[in-house]
Amino acid sequence: MSSVAVTPLTRTVFARDSVSTLRAQIESTLGEQLSSTLLFRERASPPTISTGIAALDTLTGGLPRGALSEFSGAASSGRTGAMMAALALATQREEVCALVDASDSFDPASAAAAGVNLDRLLWVRCNESSDAQQHKKNPKLGSPASAGFAFSNALEQVLKVTDLLLQGGGFGMVVLDLGDIPVESARRIPLTSWFRFRRAVEPTATVLLLVEQEPCAKTCASLVVRLHPVSIFTSDSSASCFIPPNRFSDAQKIEQQRKSRERGLPYIPQPNAVSHAALFRGIRFHAELVRSGVQRKWPQSADAQFELRAAL
Amino acid sequence: MFACIYVPDFPVEAFVRAEPLLRERAVAVLEGKPPLVRVVALNEKARLLGMEAGMTKLQADAFAELEVATETTSAARTQSRNRNASSHFCKSAVLRQRSLAQEGSAHSALLDVAHAFTPRVEDTAADTLLLDLAGLERLYGSTAAMAGDLASRVASVSVEANIAVAANPDAAMHAARGFAGTTIIPAREEAHRLGVLPVQILLDAFEISQEKVGGKSPAQRREKLREQMLDTLERWGVRDFRMLGLLPEHALASRLGDTGVKLRRLALGEGLRTLVLCEPTMRFEEAMELECPVENIDSLSFVLNRLLEQLCSRLETRALAAQELRLRLQLERRVADEETTTVQELAGDNFLDSHNVVLRPLIERTLRLPVSMRDPKVFLKLLQLELAANPPGAPVTKIWILAESAPPRSAQRGLFLPITPEAEKLEITLARIKAIIGKRRAGIARLLDSHRPQSFQLDRFAVAANDISNKGCLTASDSNVLAPLAMRLFRPACRLQVHLSEGRPMSLELEAKEIDRGGLKGKVLWSAGPWRCSGEWWGEIAKPGDSNAEQAGPWDREEWDIALLCAGKNAAHEKQENVALYRIYRDLATGHWFADASYD
Repeated sequence: MSSVAVTPLTRTVFARDSVSTLRAQIESTLGEQLSSTLLFRERASPPTISTGIAALDTLTGGLPRGALSEFSGAASSGRTGAMMAALALATQREEVCALVDASDSFDPASAAAAGVNLDRLLWVRCNESSDAQQHKKNPKLGSPASAGFAFSNALEQVLKVTDLLLQGGGFGMVVLDLGDIPVESARRIPLTSWFRFRRAVEPTATVLLLVEQEPCAKTCASLVVRLHPVSIFTSDSSASCFIPPNRFSDAQKIEQQRKSRERGLPYIPQPNAVSHAALFRGIRFHAELVRSGVQRKWPQSADAQFELRAAL
Repeated sequence: MFACIYVPDFPVEAFVRAEPLLRERAVAVLEGKPPLVRVVALNEKARLLGMEAGMTKLQADAFAELEVATETTSAARTQSRNRNASSHFCKSAVLRQRSLAQEGSAHSALLDVAHAFTPRVEDTAADTLLLDLAGLERLYGSTAAMAGDLASRVASVSVEANIAVAANPDAAMHAARGFAGTTIIPAREEAHRLGVLPVQILLDAFEISQEKVGGKSPAQRREKLREQMLDTLERWGVRDFRMLGLLPEHALASRLGDTGVKLRRLALGEGLRTLVLCEPTMRFEEAMELECPVENIDSLSFVLNRLLEQLCSRLETRALAAQELRLRLQLERRVADEETTTVQELAGDNFLDSHNVVLRPLIERTLRLPVSMRDPKVFLKLLQLELAANPPGAPVTKIWILAESAPPRSAQRGLFLPITPEAEKLEITLARIKAIIGKRRAGIARLLDSHRPQSFQLDRFAVAANDISNKGCLTASDSNVLAPLAMRLFRPACRLQVHLSEGRPMSLELEAKEIDRGGLKGKVLWSAGPWRCSGEWWGEIAKPGDSNAEQAGPWDREEWDIALLCAGKNAAHEKQENVALYRIYRDLATGHWFADASYD
């Protein structure tokens, strides 16, 4: 009777065959009780929709359905424009969308100019008036510690309304606009709330989009994009060059650009360098992909730039 | 063939319809002003106890259980019944004051059933309906099938009635009044089948039919004639239809006249008249008088649920839905006199006495639905939310619910159309959102044709039907077109302190009493303006404190676009400079500066 010499290669083959045999035995024994085989299956990436801005689509792959996405940035960072672009595409696809406006800052005229079909947008204006009135009656509430308290009522309404909208279902996109809520107040939203929202939206085709100053949903968000402004355009300068012509020497222009870059600020022409009659034309923004659980392949670049032109 | 729907002890049945648990109890209905309150109707169980019509209230109280429960809900009665021995309750009766509103609702429900069955209906009496079944065989089948179908439809509106089918309306009416359940009398067997019925039925039915045909003699005279006739027949020993039919016609005519001849022919099962048809009414109203005033909204919900189920059942029989619901509540007078916020004088016998004076204050709540619906659970939820947001303010003694009917909605769903919220779920969600954030804070923004800044109105949200036509849906590639810049408005506008240099803003900060929204303080890097904007100079200047001040009256302002260098903090609480673009303006009427919006 011949014997098989046990070599490392043989051991590997023997081990692999043993695993396969073992798996087959388990599956045959517990086949009815197992919901799926023990084979590893790659999870399909969720369907996405366009953000309405080509650069953001290239950067992020689109807004994922059934997931929480965040657009964060300070004032004039382009987050509202990006939100309007996404809403415009969603409403034009005949989807019903909802906007939970924590600080009642939504501008219907801007939305209409962006192409949002207002007939398909439910606008929920959360009420911070009680806090505002309390603050006006007692100016001592103006301290930084109490600024968060002033918006607590609005945040409570936002969370309750969002719960109701997600439980009701049927919305193509639900946007939570916390853009004007102070960072301290937004941070007070418990993580369990974001987790609950994510679980509520997972089995649906709803896009849950959060607009805020700083990312606050942490790991509950599948997509996080940080935005900030780069430069502005006025009618007193060319489209690509925002340095007013024949006003400064070359050395002065270079020095101004260097200082702006060092401070991380967008380059803005000096007050007396631009005519007061100049029309504001638009802003160029920079988008940074902070986190993406959507794309399987790492994006070619982690940031992108795009422009939004003034329509009004 | 003709069918008759007859409800025995109709005033009792009207109560039992609203409170099904009473069906197992002995129930008597009282009517009259004290001290002349008497029993006018009672069910079979009450008769077995020994009660009879015409008893005084004092006599009836001897049979009655004293209802001392503070709530009139079925759940409360169920609890109290479970606490005590069942034998005790079998021997006692329940007394109720007669409610014309509930009888009207029950009668309307029967009419709905009848009109849904056939268009030829006679509204003979409050407890009697006659239907012409000619030509309906192809639709419903045999006579027995029609009778069974009609009986099940009547049961679906929570009414127990006798159904009888015969060759003529009078025979059908006599059979329904005389025989319980469903009775079918084939043609030419009327005399044989009706023969066993007592003559009282004949006289009662004759009186009703004569009044319907055209007799307008006073009720007292008719009652007197009836008693005389009955007395005469009893003295002759005529007890039933058969004995009356055996009497010779000429002898009867000489003694009782034409009335006697008619009665004889009716006893033989012959028909004497045709139906006087009634038009179907489209009034769907359910009412209920509460035995004890109810203040708790949860307790009120049980009653509302019952009424809504009956209402939706009636709508379903007519293949209709409700576009609007109106809830009327009659409040207890003593509290309402002090605190009622709404007192309405309404036309109609239900709310005014003979001198056109409001008996008790009423409040009304109206639910306007975006689409026609017929789900009692959705209606109940919406009414609960409405009452929670606007409570009655006083105990409720009577409830009406009126539904404005509309054709039910039909929707063609496509395979490739995007999903939309269900209308019923959406309505409840919007009602809950309204309860959280207040009225008129959620809806669709509609831009107004005006030059006034921020000119829009908020309309009620309703999902429009999907436009199936291909409008050229945008794809990702279309997003190469530059998206416009959006603005974030400050509502209300923030007052600023602006420092000017050569007429241009150089720096600004919020005024002390404004909430710090972050960023509105710093040096102006760049400014463009002023852009003059004014309008409605002909309007009246809004008064200070007017909530609608921003949308009314003249405006005149100078707008500036500025780039503001402001100090802030990043996520690590480190100081950070930010540049943001704002639109600010100076109100030329007051000279104050405001921050209007930020470009974002």
